[in-house]
Amino acid sequence: MASCALQGGCPSDYIALAVSAIAMIVLLARSTLPFVVHKIPCTKGSGFWLLIIQIFASFDLLFSMVMGINILKIKKRHWWQSCYIWAVWFEGPFGFALLLSCRIVQAFQLYHIFAKRRLPPIRSYILLPLILLPWIAGAAFIHVKKPLNPRCHLRGQWIIPVVCLHALYIVAMVFMTWSVQHIKFRFHEFKDLLQGVIVSAASIGLWVVAYIMNEIHENTEWLQVASRFLLLVTASILVLAFFSLSISQPLLSQMSLRRREPREIGTMSMALGIPDSGLLLPRGPTPEIDPNEPLDKLLLNKRFRQSFMAFADSCLAGESVHFYEEVHELGKIPMDDTVRRVYMARHIIENYIVAGAAMEVNISHRTRQEILGTPDLAHPDLFNNAISELMQLMKTNLGKDYWSSTFFMKFKEESRSQTDSNELMERVIGWDISPRLSSVHGADDPFGQEPPSKGHRRQCDSHNSDSW
Amino acid sequence: MLSILVETMGLLCSKKQHLSEADAEENAQVDNSALAAEIERRIAQETKAEKHIQKLLLLGAGESGKSTIFKQIKLLFQTGFDEAELKSYIPVIHANVYQTIKILHDGSKEFAQNDENSSKYVLSAENKDIGEKLSEIGGRLDHPRLTKELAQDIETLWKDAAIQETYARGNELQVPDCAHYFMENLQRLSDVNYVPTKEDVLYARVRTTGVVEIQFSPVGGNKKSGEVYRLFDVGGQRNERRKWIHLFEGVTAVIFCAAISEYDQMLFEDENKNRMMETKELFDWVLKQQCFEKTSFMLFLNKFDIFEKKVLKVPLNVCEWFKDYQPVSTGKQEIEHAYEFVKKKFEELYFQSTAPDRVDRVFKIYRTTALDQKLVKKTFKLVDETLRRRNLFEAGLL
Repeated sequence: MASCALQGGCPSDYIALAVSAIAMIVLLARSTLPFVVHKIPCTKGSGFWLLIIQIFASFDLLFSMVMGINILKIKKRHWWQSCYIWAVWFEGPFGFALLLSCRIVQAFQLYHIFAKRRLPPIRSYILLPLILLPWIAGAAFIHVKKPLNPRCHLRGQWIIPVVCLHALYIVAMVFMTWSVQHIKFRFHEFKDLLQGVIVSAASIGLWVVAYIMNEIHENTEWLQVASRFLLLVTASILVLAFFSLSISQPLLSQMSLRRREPREIGTMSMALGIPDSGLLLPRGPTPEIDPNEPLDKLLLNKRFRQSFMAFADSCLAGESVHFYEEVHELGKIPMDDTVRRVYMARHIIENYIVAGAAMEVNISHRTRQEILGTPDLAHPDLFNNAISELMQLMKTNLGKDYWSSTFFMKFKEESRSQTDSNELMERVIGWDISPRLSSVHGADDPFGQEPPSKGHRRQCDSHNSDSW
Repeated sequence: MLSILVETMGLLCSKKQHLSEADAEENAQVDNSALAAEIERRIAQETKAEKHIQKLLLLGAGESGKSTIFKQIKLLFQTGFDEAELKSYIPVIHANVYQTIKILHDGSKEFAQNDENSSKYVLSAENKDIGEKLSEIGGRLDHPRLTKELAQDIETLWKDAAIQETYARGNELQVPDCAHYFMENLQRLSDVNYVPTKEDVLYARVRTTGVVEIQFSPVGGNKKSGEVYRLFDVGGQRNERRKWIHLFEGVTAVIFCAAISEYDQMLFEDENKNRMMETKELFDWVLKQQCFEKTSFMLFLNKFDIFEKKVLKVPLNVCEWFKDYQPVSTGKQEIEHAYEFVKKKFEELYFQSTAPDRVDRVFKIYRTTALDQKLVKKTFKLVDETLRRRNLFEAGLL
């Protein structure tokens, strides 16, 4: 017990190590399970990358603490076990500061999207290093001056600027959280931001107290052991409390991991509570579909739209119809409910407009830039140009072939009589052919033909693109 | 992490669905046994026939001429277009006309605002209203039928000096290649009993989305004696390319269309990227695909008719890839020299992108003008011959 306080290896140290290992595993599980279970297309936007960086920073923080404060009984022989690498660099800029900076960037993006109703002007891959700069400068300064004692503690007067730097970032987070407090978020974003602020402030407070106690009562073994234990455990809690799926992937945070949910929330419109979204309610006899009517009028009929969507998916041209459907859902949200409109608009932009999106639609450069640079995400006419371009595309490509496809035949049979529809469906089920494409090869077909009642399930796509 | 795993999965070739297995399963539910037997017979027939079908892919960047080649193949080797199908192109042709005049009108306004010599892009006073009206019509979802009055208005606007000046700078806008042809034929197009000619249909511009296929045989309709080809046409814009991967398995030959006249134009989906540079990168990417180890490559250097006229006015070195080009003479000699230069660049690119173990795959370059039926027929005959010879070689008979 006498030497373990200095060299590490006390029983409490091992307990703390176990706690941090469990925290890391729980973090990884919480972050990857939703993707694995639901097979949502991981739109490789900045939200996704920030999540990965957060996980990396969490791991860095915990691992650097383990190495830096002598938890394990390792003799320091190698240069890479040096105090400076772990306690200064990995714990600071690549650990704690990176965590906080990610959160600040996320809050910044939320502020722009919801308060100012525009897409963030500065890309996150520029903003993140910018926010991290003070820490990197500080770490370099410390590295040069070398004020750490052999036990990896800072000498007296150095602690003040370090604590000030920590406090500065906490203040920045508080400021960003305050700037979005008036917005009625729908997916616990504010709660997560607040949680992050409180936990990180509490951690800093605890660490400062532990440091002061250690300085006052030097060489008290139980204090050293206890403060080591406290450090690692609070870092584990911090890492878990910081993780938030609802800020970057709001739809995923709504989907339950339990498969026994009666009504699975599969689309953003359902998650936002838009009436009648995604449901095919059995109504009375549907009006006869007239092929001579223009396509945009026909698409207003929900049953026709579903049938046409299935046909388009079979020709690998489905994204235009899905886009039309989601913009139609957006149109159902009342004008004054700007928060929901912004959620839906952001969802549509991330999935259909951004270059390299999973279901990117075929629109001109100008239309795309207009949407991405719009001054008001809640504007009702935001997607009008895109809709008219895609309507032209759908008319000229799919308009003719749909009427001679089996999808239309199925649709006619269904609308003619509800009771006989099941029988006929079974008979025709093997004949899903269209005049455009005889069969779609590929297990990873993103346009899998699902019956309309289920949420649309897709798999991750691979494509070269800029993901920011 | 997870994304890396999934990415590697996505990079692998897509597996072919076992048609017979899946359908047989579903058909087990069908009560009508005679129907089930018929379905099974058809599937068995198709699967047997499929082994002898050669798969051809038409790939290329946006607006490179793939769909025009596709239409030509339909005209040459299938039943061609009947009157109903020809008439179905009327709304497309009219839409092209409205869109073209709208692009030119809006372009002239933009140039008038931003350019120093703005006066030459300003419309004459009497044409301003016509211009606004036509621009509004062009922006609608449903275009009205082209009447004689509208055609007259469009013609007046087209002949305006400002519009002609804008058209001369058409490479900075997204003016379709059929613009000049349709504008010159407006009277005919607006006729009440207008039936599009084959040439009109070939000129009509439709941006393809998704995948279309046809099956044909170059030697009459007799499937037994000739080869059977299945030709796939795709969209060329960037968002459409993620769908290509589903077609890459078991391809006999890739017909890559490159529009050589587009060296001074920008992409439809990204106006900051030069079309020729995009074609270069795309060709490189296609050549390096795993699935195309044994696939023959037919490079169609398309739009030669536009290239002929353009290369004498706009030097090739406006494009970064051709920046080391030196013109040697004028007239026909210059055109040939420029063409040979472009062809050599593509050849160099092919050999750069091809690993040593793939050098024995077939690679041929053809000069094409997709609108010229005779030329396409001749070119396709050569392609057919090359593929047949390769087949015999593969079977060990050559």
